[in-house]
Amino acid sequence: MNLPPIDWHAIAPELVLTAAACLVLVVDLFLPDEAKWIAMPLSAAGLFGTLAAVVSLLGAERVTLAGSFEVNDFALLFKALFCVIGLIILALSLDYFRDGRYHQGEFYFLLLCALLGGVVMASARDLISIFIAIETISIPGIVMAALRKGDVRSNEGSLKFFLFSVLSSALMLYGMSLIYGVTGSTNVDEINQVLPQQHEGLVAVSVFFVVIGFAFKVSAVPFHFWAPDTYEGSPPPVAAFLASASKIGGFVGLLVLMFRAFPAVAEQWRPAFAVLAALTMTVGNLIALRQQHIIRLLAYSGVAQSGYMLVGFALIGANADTNSQAFKATVIYIVIYGLMDLGAFAAAISFARRGGTYFISDYSGLWNRSPALAGLMAAFLLSLAGVPPLAGAWAKLFVFLASIEAQVYWLAVVMGVNAVIAAWYYLAVVKRMFFDVPEVSEPIETPYLLRAAMGLAVLALVASFVYPRLVTDLADRSVLESRGADVELSSP
Amino acid sequence: MPEGYFGQYFTIAIFIVAGVVLVLGTFALAKLLSPFQPHTEKLTTYESGIDPIGTGWSQANVRYYIFALLFVIFDVEAIFLFPWAVVFERLGTQAFVEMVIFIGILTLALLYAIKKKVLEWL
Repeated sequence: MNLPPIDWHAIAPELVLTAAACLVLVVDLFLPDEAKWIAMPLSAAGLFGTLAAVVSLLGAERVTLAGSFEVNDFALLFKALFCVIGLIILALSLDYFRDGRYHQGEFYFLLLCALLGGVVMASARDLISIFIAIETISIPGIVMAALRKGDVRSNEGSLKFFLFSVLSSALMLYGMSLIYGVTGSTNVDEINQVLPQQHEGLVAVSVFFVVIGFAFKVSAVPFHFWAPDTYEGSPPPVAAFLASASKIGGFVGLLVLMFRAFPAVAEQWRPAFAVLAALTMTVGNLIALRQQHIIRLLAYSGVAQSGYMLVGFALIGANADTNSQAFKATVIYIVIYGLMDLGAFAAAISFARRGGTYFISDYSGLWNRSPALAGLMAAFLLSLAGVPPLAGAWAKLFVFLASIEAQVYWLAVVMGVNAVIAAWYYLAVVKRMFFDVPEVSEPIETPYLLRAAMGLAVLALVASFVYPRLVTDLADRSVLESRGADVELSSP
Repeated sequence: MPEGYFGQYFTIAIFIVAGVVLVLGTFALAKLLSPFQPHTEKLTTYESGIDPIGTGWSQANVRYYIFALLFVIFDVEAIFLFPWAVVFERLGTQAFVEMVIFIGILTLALLYAIKKKVLEWL
C-alpha cells in the first residue's frame, strides 16, 4: 500500500502559513507582557512568506492530494487576496490590541489560522476539504469575536455567531452527505459527471441544504441576522475580518460548488439564487438606511453587497459564454468588495482610535479635522456605492452586464434600483463629513500603521481600476471556469 | 411527482413535512403506547443507579472545562492514531513523519496549557 504522492510545492503556501501560526503561538508564550506586540510583525512576516510561496506558484496548474487540492490562477488569485487582507487586518489590529491588552498572541494566532482556512479554501476541490476549510475560517472567527471578554456585546455577538455557524454547518454537512450518498463521490468533478443521471428530488434537497449552509456564512437574507450584532460586538479589526475574509471564504466555496460541482442541475437551484440575490440586496440596503452606527451600517451594506455577488449564481445557464461572464463578474466583485470594505473599516477604526466614536453623528465636519481621513473614508464609501470613477463601479458594471448578457433583465433592474437606494446612505455619511459643522474642531492624527493599511487598500483598488485586466485575466484563465461551464445542462 | 422549475421545490416541501411529522409522530406514539404508573423510585432523578444527593442545581467548578477541552484534543488525536497504528508497518516512513508532525502540533496545545498555568489546581 502506498500513500498518494504529495506535491509539496503546490501546498507550500499552506505549509508556510501553518508554520507561522505555530511559531506565533509558541513565541507569544515566552514573551513578557510589554513585548507581546512582537507577535504582530512575526505574523506579518509569515504572511509575506505565504505571499512569496503564492508568487512562486504563479502560472502553475497542479493537482495533488488525490485530486482534492488544485492550484491554478483562480486559486492563486484568492490565496494572494487572503494574504493581502491578512496584512491589512494586522496593520489595523496592532494599536487596538496593544493598547487594550487583549490576548494579543492568541489573536494573531487565531487570525493566521482563519486565513489558513481561506488559503486552503481557494484550492479545495472536494466536499470534505471545502467543509474543513470553511470551518477553519469560522471557528477562529467565533473565538476572535469574543476576545473582548468583559464586554457583554462581544459575548452576545460571539454566541450568536457560534449558534448560527453551527446550525449552518450542520445543514451544509447534511446536504453534503446526501450528495455523497447520491453520487458516491466527494470530488467536485466526479460529482458533476454523475449528478445529472441521479434522482432529481434527492439532488434538489441536498443542493438546497448546501446552499442554505453557505447562505448563512455569506450573510444572505434571510440568514443575515447574526452579522450586524456580531460585527458590532466584536473588536473592530475582527469585524473587518468577518466582513471581508470570512465572507470571501464562503463565496469561494460557493463558486467552486455551484460552477464546478452542480452546474449540470442548475435548472433546479438557479431560481433560488435569483430570489436570494434580490432579497439580500433590497433588505440589506433598506435596513442600512436607518443605521446610526458606522459598524452596523457597514454590516448591512455588506449584506447588500453579498446580494450583488449572488447575482452571478442566478445567471448560470446553457450558454457557456454567459456562464463564463457571470463567473468572471462574480470573482471581480468579490475581490474589489473585499478591499473596499476593508478600507472603509480601516477608516472607521482610525477615526475611533483617535478620539472619535463609531456613531455616524460624530463624523460631522471630519473634513476640517482631518482632510486625508475624510477623503479616504469618502473614497471607500463612494466605491462601495459604485460611483463611476472608483473601483466599485467596475465591479457593479461587470455584474450588471453579465445579467443583461444572460437576459435576466429583472435582476438587472433590481440591481439598478438598489444602487440608488444604497447611494443614499453612503452619501449621507459623505455629506456629513464634508458639509456639516464639526462639534469638536481638534485635528485628528492617524497612526502610521493605519495609514499603511488604508494605503494598501487604496493601492490595490487603484490598481484594479486603472488596470482591471489584472483581475479579469486571472479570473479568465482559471481552470474552474473552463471545466465548469462546458458541461451540458439537463433540460428542464 | 410534479415537473418543472418549481416542481422540484415540491420535493423539498415533502421533505420538510416528513421531518416534522416524523418527530411529532414519534412523540405522540410514545405518549400513546407507553404505560404510565409512577411511584417514588421512578420519579427520582436517575443518577447511575445511586440515590441522588442534593439538588439538581449543584454547580461544577468552572476549572473543569479546561480539562474537558484538553480531553477533547487528545481524544481526537486517539481517533486518528488508531487507524494509523493498524496499517503503520505497510505505510512506511512518510506516514511516520506525518504523524510526528500531527502529534507535534497537538503538543503545542499542551505546552500552551502548561504555560498558561491551567494545569495547576489552586
